[in-house]
Amino acid sequence: MADVIQDAGVPGLSRADTLVVHANWSTRRLHLWCESSGAFGGALGDAGDEGHGVERAHPFAADAGDVAAALGLPGSSRSAITLRLPTVDDRPIPSAALTHWVGRPDVHADVAFASYAVPTVEVGPEDAERLLESLIERVEADGADTLKIGSTVEFFAVAARLARHLLARQRFVPMVLQAGDGGLTASWRPWLADEESASRTAVLLRAMPPAARAVDDDLGHDPAKVLESYLGELVDAACRAVLDREEMTDTIEDIDPAGDPQVAWLTGLLDGTDEVPAQSSIRTDFVRRVRRWIGGLEDRGESSTWRLGLRLNEPLAEALEDQREGDLATDDDADWSVSFFLQSQANPDIAVDGSDVWLLSRETVVVEGLTLESPQELLLAELGRASRYYKRLEDALDEAEPIEVMLDTKQAYEFLREVRPVLLEQGFAVESPAWWDSPTGRLGARLRIGSDPLEALLEAGGAGSTASPAQLGLGALVGYHWEIAIGDTTLTLHEFEQFAQKSSPLVRIGGKWVEIRPEDVQNAIRFIRENPGGQMELSEAMRLAYASDPKKTGVPVLGMEASGWVAEVFGAGGESAAISLPALETPESFHGTLRPYQNRGLSWLAFMEQFGFGACLADDMGLGKTIQVLALLAHEREDAARARRAGETDPAKTSVAPTLLIVPMSVVGNWTREIRRFTPSLRTVVHHGVERAMGDAFVDEVGDADIVITTYALANRDKELLQRVDWGRVVLDEAQFIKNPAAKQSQAVRSLEVERRVALTGTPVENRLSELWSIMDFLNPAYLGGSGVFRKRFSVPIERYRDQNKMAQLRGLVRPFILRRVKTDPTVVADLPEKIEGKELCHLTSEQAALYENCVKRMLSDVEASDGIHRRGLVLAGLIRLKQICNHPSQMLKDHDFASGQPVDPARSGKCVRLLEMLDEALAEGDQALVFTQFRQMGHLLAAMLRHELNRDVLFLHGGTPQGQRQKLIDRFQDEGARNPILILSLKAGGVGLNLTAATHVFHFDRWWNPAVENQATDRAYRIGQTRTVQVHKYVVRGTLEERIDEMIESKTELAENIIGAGERWLTELDTSQLRSLLALRADAIGDEE
Amino acid sequence: MAERERGQPIERPKISSKPPELPRSKPIPPPGYRSAPTPAQNPRRVRGGQRLKRKDGETAASWITQRLERVAEQGASGEAWREGMEYARLGQTRRFEIDPGVIVASVQGRMPRAYTTRLEVDVFDAQQRDRIIGSMVEQSRFAAKILAGELPTNIDDLFAPLGLRFMPVEPGDISPRCTCKEQDKPWCKHAVCALILAADHFGRHPLELFRWRGLPEGELSERLRELRALSGQGPGAAPVYEPFVAGVSDAEVSPLDASSADFWEAGHELRSVDLPIDRPTTTHVLLRRLGPSPFPEARFPLVGLLATCYELIGEDAAAGVDDGGPDDEGPESLAGSA
Repeated sequence: MADVIQDAGVPGLSRADTLVVHANWSTRRLHLWCESSGAFGGALGDAGDEGHGVERAHPFAADAGDVAAALGLPGSSRSAITLRLPTVDDRPIPSAALTHWVGRPDVHADVAFASYAVPTVEVGPEDAERLLESLIERVEADGADTLKIGSTVEFFAVAARLARHLLARQRFVPMVLQAGDGGLTASWRPWLADEESASRTAVLLRAMPPAARAVDDDLGHDPAKVLESYLGELVDAACRAVLDREEMTDTIEDIDPAGDPQVAWLTGLLDGTDEVPAQSSIRTDFVRRVRRWIGGLEDRGESSTWRLGLRLNEPLAEALEDQREGDLATDDDADWSVSFFLQSQANPDIAVDGSDVWLLSRETVVVEGLTLESPQELLLAELGRASRYYKRLEDALDEAEPIEVMLDTKQAYEFLREVRPVLLEQGFAVESPAWWDSPTGRLGARLRIGSDPLEALLEAGGAGSTASPAQLGLGALVGYHWEIAIGDTTLTLHEFEQFAQKSSPLVRIGGKWVEIRPEDVQNAIRFIRENPGGQMELSEAMRLAYASDPKKTGVPVLGMEASGWVAEVFGAGGESAAISLPALETPESFHGTLRPYQNRGLSWLAFMEQFGFGACLADDMGLGKTIQVLALLAHEREDAARARRAGETDPAKTSVAPTLLIVPMSVVGNWTREIRRFTPSLRTVVHHGVERAMGDAFVDEVGDADIVITTYALANRDKELLQRVDWGRVVLDEAQFIKNPAAKQSQAVRSLEVERRVALTGTPVENRLSELWSIMDFLNPAYLGGSGVFRKRFSVPIERYRDQNKMAQLRGLVRPFILRRVKTDPTVVADLPEKIEGKELCHLTSEQAALYENCVKRMLSDVEASDGIHRRGLVLAGLIRLKQICNHPSQMLKDHDFASGQPVDPARSGKCVRLLEMLDEALAEGDQALVFTQFRQMGHLLAAMLRHELNRDVLFLHGGTPQGQRQKLIDRFQDEGARNPILILSLKAGGVGLNLTAATHVFHFDRWWNPAVENQATDRAYRIGQTRTVQVHKYVVRGTLEERIDEMIESKTELAENIIGAGERWLTELDTSQLRSLLALRADAIGDEE
Repeated sequence: MAERERGQPIERPKISSKPPELPRSKPIPPPGYRSAPTPAQNPRRVRGGQRLKRKDGETAASWITQRLERVAEQGASGEAWREGMEYARLGQTRRFEIDPGVIVASVQGRMPRAYTTRLEVDVFDAQQRDRIIGSMVEQSRFAAKILAGELPTNIDDLFAPLGLRFMPVEPGDISPRCTCKEQDKPWCKHAVCALILAADHFGRHPLELFRWRGLPEGELSERLRELRALSGQGPGAAPVYEPFVAGVSDAEVSPLDASSADFWEAGHELRSVDLPIDRPTTTHVLLRRLGPSPFPEARFPLVGLLATCYELIGEDAAAGVDDGGPDDEGPESLAGSA
C-alpha cells in the first residue's frame, strides 16, 4: 500500500528536512539559496541581532555548504547576498513553498520589511540556464520532498528561456558601454524594443515574483532593471561562448584597433575581455556614431501621426490572361509594382494613396478628421527613409512625383521575403497579397493511406477477435504513397519538376500565385524519389503524418489522407471517430440508462477494441467512466451469447475471457458497488487482502469470472500469478498511477500481455506529458517511442518553451486514442442533471481497523456492565470515537502536534487518500470544492493536510470563526477561487446564509445520518446562481457502522425514519447484541494488503 | 565629530551657500507708536509652515528619526522639549534648509519676529570623504544600500574603523545656535523644533544626512557608481543607447515593501508565455535595419563579420534544443528508412 501512495505523489513517510530553493540575480551572478524547514523549527524565537554585518542573518536559510550539496554543486563558489524580506513578528515570512511544510504565519498580523544576510551558491550567466533547467528537471522527476522549487527559480528559468528565444531569433545587437570615467566596453545586448519581444518581456516583468527583486543592491529592487540586467548578461555570455568557440577573434587578429574604430569595437565583442581599446581622443565621436547607428532602429520617421505604407500589387489578371498557364517566361516577367500611401498611425483604415497625395494641396489637409501637414514633403521624406532599407525605392525618388516602382516576379519575391519584414519592423506599413504567408499556400508532402474497406474487414473478421494483428491495430500494414501538394492542390511529379527550372520562387498555379522555393522543389523531388510508397505499419504512418521533422524529411509534411477502415477509425483527417460512430444499443443486462454521451463512449470503446487499438477514456470526474466500462463488458458478453445462439462454434466468438481491472485501493469499494448496481450478472472476484486466492486456486477462481478487481500494489506483488491468466482485457482505473515509468507497478502493469487495453483517467491527460506518455505506452506500446526520446521530442519543447507546433504534432498523434469529454461540453451539459449524488466507499487502513476493533470491544464490555443514562452516555461516546477513527486515527488519538509544523499523514486514513485523489482531479479540472465535516478537529487536520499535499491555500470555516471573518472567507472562496479552491466547513450549515456557488463539488467527509441536514449543506453550492452541475460525494467507510447505517437509511424503512428523526439516540436503545452486529467490523473493510 | 573634544565651541568657516535670511514679513508698527514688541500669549501662527505630521505618542517610523530626537531630548530641558515638539506640530517653522555643516530654520515664537536657529555639525574634509567612499565601495553591501537610497542601521560600523562618526549620538555632537534670548540654554525650544523637523526629514530622506555632513548625495552616488564600475562590482557602465521597451521601460514600479501579500508568488502568466526556440523566417533583420557601418570611412567589413556572428549565435541557440542527434531513435529514423 505504501508504495502505491508514494507513486501517486502523496508523500507521507518522509520526515526529512525540506529545502526550498530560491534564486536571485545580483552583481551579474545568479545566487541560489535555500530555506530549510529544519532550520525553521530550530530558529523559532531566535530573533536576536547577529551583531556584525549590515543586517541580521536569515534565521532559517540553509548554509552555503548545504545548498551546494543539495543542488549537486559541491565545487561551486559560495557567496552571500542581502535580501529585503517581509516579516511578521520579527521573522521573515516563509516562502509559499515552505509554508506547506512549516505552516503559515498569521497573515493578518502587521508585516514589516527587514534585511537579512543569506548565504548563497553563485553561478555566472553562462551557467545559469543549464543549472536552472537541470534543477527543475531533477526536482520534477524526483518528486521527493527534500527539495522544492521556489517561484524565483521558475522565474529565472523562464527568463533564461526568453534569452535563448531572443538569441535563436537573432534579436540582439552589438553595444558599446561607457563607464563614469569615459572608458569603453563592448557587449551583446538583447534587443527588446520590437513589438513581439517587448510584449514577451513585459509579460515576464508582470509575472516576476517580488522575491526576485529582493536583493539590496544597485538594481534598487526595480523589476525592470533586474530583468534587463539578467537578460543582458545571459545574452552576452551566450554570444561570447559561441564566438570564442568559433575563434572569431582570428578575423581581426592582425589588424591594429588604433587604425580602425570598428576593429576596436570588435575586439571588445569577440575577445574574452570586453574592453574596447579606443583612444580617449576618439571616444566621444565613437560613442556618438554608435549611439546614432543603434538609435536608428527606433527611428520612426518625421511624423508621429502618419506613416508611409507600401503595397505590393499583383500583375493585372488581364495582362496574364492571354498567356498559357505555367508559361514560365511570362510568369517571371510579369509586371508587379509597389505603390505608396500615407497611413494614419492610430487608425490603419485611414490612408491616402500616393497618387492622391500629388493632387492634394501642398499645405495642410484634413483627412477624415485627421490633420495631415505638408503631405507631399512627408511622402518624399519617408520614401527617402524607406530607401535606406530598400534600395529600389531610390528609383522612385528620381521622379518629381513618385507613385510606384515596377518590379519583375523575382524582385517581387525579394520584396516579400526579404524587405517586407525589415520595413514592418522599422515602422512602415506593408500590404501584401492575401496569399502570402497563408497556410493554404504551403508546399509540402502529403501521406496518402489506402486500407481495406471497413465492410470487407467486418465480414471477414467479425467482432475483430479473429482478425490477425497484421490486419488491425497500429501494427497493421497499410498501403501508402506520398504526394506533393500545395494547400489542397495535388501536383504530379512532372508538373512539379517544371517549377524547378524557374528562376523565381513565385509561380502561378490554378490562377493563384504561390511561393515555391527552389530548395523546397529539390528536396520534395528527392523525397518523392526516395520514398516511392509501398506498405508500412499504421503506427509509422501516423508518426510520419503528424510528427515528422522537416529538417529530416526536407519538406514539410502536411498530414495524411486515408481511405478504408483507417479513415473510419481516425476520421479522414485523423480526428477521433467518437462523434460519427454508429451508436450501440444499451446492453440488456445493464441495469440503468446510459446518457447519450455515455453511449457514445461505449460505442467508441467497442469500436477501438475491434480494431485493436488501446483506448483512453478521459472524461471529467463524475461523467461516469465506470459505467461506460461496465456497459462494454455487458455488451461483449451479450454479443458472445448471441453468437452461441446463432450456432457459432468458434470459441473466440462465443466465450469472453475475464477482464482484469487494476485500481487504486481507494476505489475498490466503489467498483464493487457499481457492479452490484448496474451489472449484477457480472461474476466479480476482488483479488486483494491477506486471504486472497493464490496459485491454482486463483486461476480456477478467475476462470469463471467476468471481472477481476485488483490493486496497483498487487499487480506488482502478484505479477507472476496474474501473468498465468489469459485475460480478455486489462483496464486501468486512475491510470495516472502509472505515470512513473520506472516504478515497479508501472512495469508490472505494462508487462501483462493482453491485446485489449483500456485506461481510465479524469485528469487532463494531454497537459501532463509524463502521464500521457505512460498511459499511451501502456495502451499502444512503443507508439510514442521510448520515454527518453519522447522527452526530448515533445516534453522539453512543449513544457519549457510552449512550442505550439510540437503541441499540435503530439495532439495529432494521440487524439485518435483519447476520448475526453468535459462537463462544460455543450453535448454533455445537455445530458447532465443539475446535481449528481454519489457515495464514495472507502476502506480502513490496518491502523484504523485495529483501533476500530479495539474500540468496539471496549465499548461493548463497558456497555454490558452498565445501564441507564450511564449506558447511553457510553454508547454515544463510543460512537463518536468510531466515527473519528473512520475519519483519521489522529482525530481520535489527538496525536497530531499542530505547532510542530509536521504534515498530517493522509496514508493513515482510507478516506483521506480518496479525498486527495478526488480533489487533485477536481482542481486539475479547474473546479472548486466544499468539504463538510461534523468535527472541528477534523477540519483542522484536513486543512493542514490539504495545504501540504495539494500545495494550495485552503480555507476553513468553523463554528468558532468570528462573523466578520466568515464573510471574508466566503468572499475569497467565491471571488478568488483560483487561489482558494477549497473551503472546509465544520458547522451545521443550515443556520447560516452561505452562498457558495463557486463550488461544483461537495464532499461530505463524514455523515450526519440525516439527509435533510446534508442536503441543506449541499444546497450552499446548489442554489440560485449555480449554473453548472454540482457533484455531491458522500464518504462511507465500507464494512463499518458507517456503511450499515447508510444502508439502513437507504432502505427507507420505518427504522430509517427513526434514525433520521432522532439522530443517534436510537442507537443507545439497542441491546448489546444488536450493537455488536451493527458495529462489528466486516472483513472487507480493511484496505491494506499486508 | 569624533575628532574634536566634545563640548568645545565649534569654530569653522561658514560653508553654507546661502547666508541665513531674516523673515521676510516684518510687522509694521502703527505710526507714532514705538515700543518693544510684546510677546503674545501663544506663538503666532504661521501659514504654510513646516509641520510635523506625526501624532502625539506615536513612535517615529525610522530609526534615524528616533536617534536624532533622542539627542535633542537629552540636551533640552523637559519644558524646551515639550514646547519644541509643540512648535514642530503646530508648524511654526517658516524656512528650513539643509546645507553642508548647518541646518538653518526660522522658527516663529510668540514675538513678532521669527528666530533663526542653526544646527551645526562637523563636515568631512576632502580627504575624509575619499576614505569614506573608498570604504563603502570595498564593503559593497553598504554601497548597494546607499545607492538604493537607504541608510543601514549600522552605518557607523563603516565609519568607526576610519576614526570617524556619522550619526550624532549625544547633544554635544550638534551645536545649536539661536537668535532667541535663551543663550545660556543651547537647546532652546526653537532648536528642538528645528531638530525634530530635521529628524523627521532625515527619516524620510536618509541620504540628506550626508549632505549635512558635507557630502552631497549627488556627489556621493556618482562617485560610488564610478568606483564600483571600475572595481567591477556593479553595472556602472551604461549602454550608450537604451531603447524604449513598451511595457518594460514604462512599467509602473510598486515599492518592494508594498508587495508582502504575494511576495513569494509568480504571476500566473509566467507559465503561459510562449518562447519558441526557432530560427527567424528572415535572417539578419536587425542587421539590415542597422544598415551600413557607422564608420563608412573605415575599411574593415564590420557588417559582414557581424552577419556571420548573428548566424553562428542564432544557430547555436536554436540547435541547443533541437531534437535529433545520435541517441534519437524516434519517428523520423523510421521515415528515413522508408
